[in-house]
Amino acid sequence: MAIQTSDLPTRARAGTAPGGARPARRRLREQLTTQAFLLPIALVLVVLFLVPLAESVYYSFTDYSGSSPTRHLVGLRNYRQIFTDPSVLTGLGFTLLYAVATTLIVTVLAIPLAVILNRRFPGRSLVRAAFFFPAVPSMAILGLVWTFVLSPLSSGVINSVLGSLFGVGPVPWLSDNTLAKVSVIVVGVWAQTGWHAVLYLAYLQSVPRDYYEAATIDGATPRQQFFRITLPLLAPAMTVSQFLLLINGLRVYDLPFTLTAGGPGYDTYTITQVLVQRGIAEGDYGLGAALGVIFLIAVAAVLSLQLSVTRRLERRFR
Amino acid sequence: MTAILSRLRTRGWLTSAYMLPVSAVMALPFYYVLVNTLKSQAQTTGSPLALPSSPDFSTYRRVLNEVPVAAAFANTLYVTVFSVALMVLIGAMAAYALTIRPTRFNRRFGKLLLLAFVVPTQSTLIPVYQIFVKLGLVNSLNGLVLVYSAGSIFCWFVIQGYMATLPFEVIEAARLDGCGPWQVFWRIVLPLIRPILATVAVFQTMWVWNDFLNPNVYLSDPAKSTIVMEVYTSVGQFQVDWPAFLTLSVMALVPMVVFFVAVQRHIMSGLLSGAVKG
Repeated sequence: MAIQTSDLPTRARAGTAPGGARPARRRLREQLTTQAFLLPIALVLVVLFLVPLAESVYYSFTDYSGSSPTRHLVGLRNYRQIFTDPSVLTGLGFTLLYAVATTLIVTVLAIPLAVILNRRFPGRSLVRAAFFFPAVPSMAILGLVWTFVLSPLSSGVINSVLGSLFGVGPVPWLSDNTLAKVSVIVVGVWAQTGWHAVLYLAYLQSVPRDYYEAATIDGATPRQQFFRITLPLLAPAMTVSQFLLLINGLRVYDLPFTLTAGGPGYDTYTITQVLVQRGIAEGDYGLGAALGVIFLIAVAAVLSLQLSVTRRLERRFR
Repeated sequence: MTAILSRLRTRGWLTSAYMLPVSAVMALPFYYVLVNTLKSQAQTTGSPLALPSSPDFSTYRRVLNEVPVAAAFANTLYVTVFSVALMVLIGAMAAYALTIRPTRFNRRFGKLLLLAFVVPTQSTLIPVYQIFVKLGLVNSLNGLVLVYSAGSIFCWFVIQGYMATLPFEVIEAARLDGCGPWQVFWRIVLPLIRPILATVAVFQTMWVWNDFLNPNVYLSDPAKSTIVMEVYTSVGQFQVDWPAFLTLSVMALVPMVVFFVAVQRHIMSGLLSGAVKG
């Protein structure tokens, strides 16, 4: 006991000596090294997010363009131009329409599909693969392939089927204003439904079978089981799936661009296409930046709206 | 009669009876693409869905001669491999540091990363393009790799969630044995989080390989085209030659089919664990 207490000061003194300092200094060095692990992502954050966002906001108030070396503040001119330019406005409108329509339609189709895929039946994995696969290749290539399927000529796949079976003349799938919008949305739904069905399926597989057995014993019809058990339990999956669908819908670019090139006229123009065309190709950086800012605000607004709606729904189901 | 019907129902044959035809319709575009690569121009426009009278592989040879398919694949592979490796590494490093050292500053930094996660590419496109022009990184495959490093935020987000399941005693034991942070990271953490690394790499590979927006904005030299760009530009070249265009599409789609079959497990497990990406 006595030896130990007399040892203490010696040890403490030894702590200041080079040999004993190792633990403290080593810990400091370790902490610094660990902190340095954050440097790469900090660089990404600053160079690819924070600085560009600040510049976007600043550029959006200037007449910065590829043709003039100097830039001047022009106030809200770019924003005013966006909300008066018909091509930009239709782009904004179609992007919103696409995002909302694909979100609703995919949700309505994917949930029953997931319920079916959760049953056992011959050829199930084949069916699952057929629905899921369109989510794998590039949307740009799929859009190009669909231009042949939906070709307004009588040699287009759908038109040739319609022609030979029903004798209906060639339908202008991609050159009629309304049909073109519908076509883009249909292809978007085709490409995404299977993927989201598999997402729902993942949640369904975690639902205990006892729930359904108990419900059957209590005399619940399959319809009641779907609306009273399955749907409420899928509420969290719906939050995730619809969040992704909305974000993807708002960001859409490849599909309309390759399928219709934004046409006929500007009917299937998207915000991103306007941004690339005006902001990059035509070098109107101020306008492009303003579009980027509006885009960010739109995404934030739609997502917070979606979050509050699904939260309310989840609460109701509980 | 009803007995047979109910037996069919319990075995699921009734479900198959309507799901298999519906799947066939879903897969119709892929059948159309594939079958028309073996037909002549006249057959393709005359009877688009018919099987070829005699399979003709000459279109494949012709397309390979006219389009630099191999070069486009090499470009795509280069960009995909390096950008996915880079972003997964950056994301894993960040997740490791934020898990090991949850200081107040680091927690705030994590929240900032979470905010950046929601920022769409479109909102930063113009200034980032400007920065890359100034740095001379436009029209360069390496520049494109750096553009994609923005995806490291998503990687961080997914890996961070998985880090909570790590057995910290193992890391602590390694540190007591004298392993520095680098050694702990390379020798212990990375091997332990391999499942989530695979999942996140699969999702990011699908994004980069299939991306059209960034190559379209950043690459203008045809020699640097990615495969998706090559298919897009060939539409003009093969305007009336439908079989040639469809053949090129098949060539572009084949690697994705192989990839899908090989990694399907990781996609499904990623969806299960909530590691999903739009």
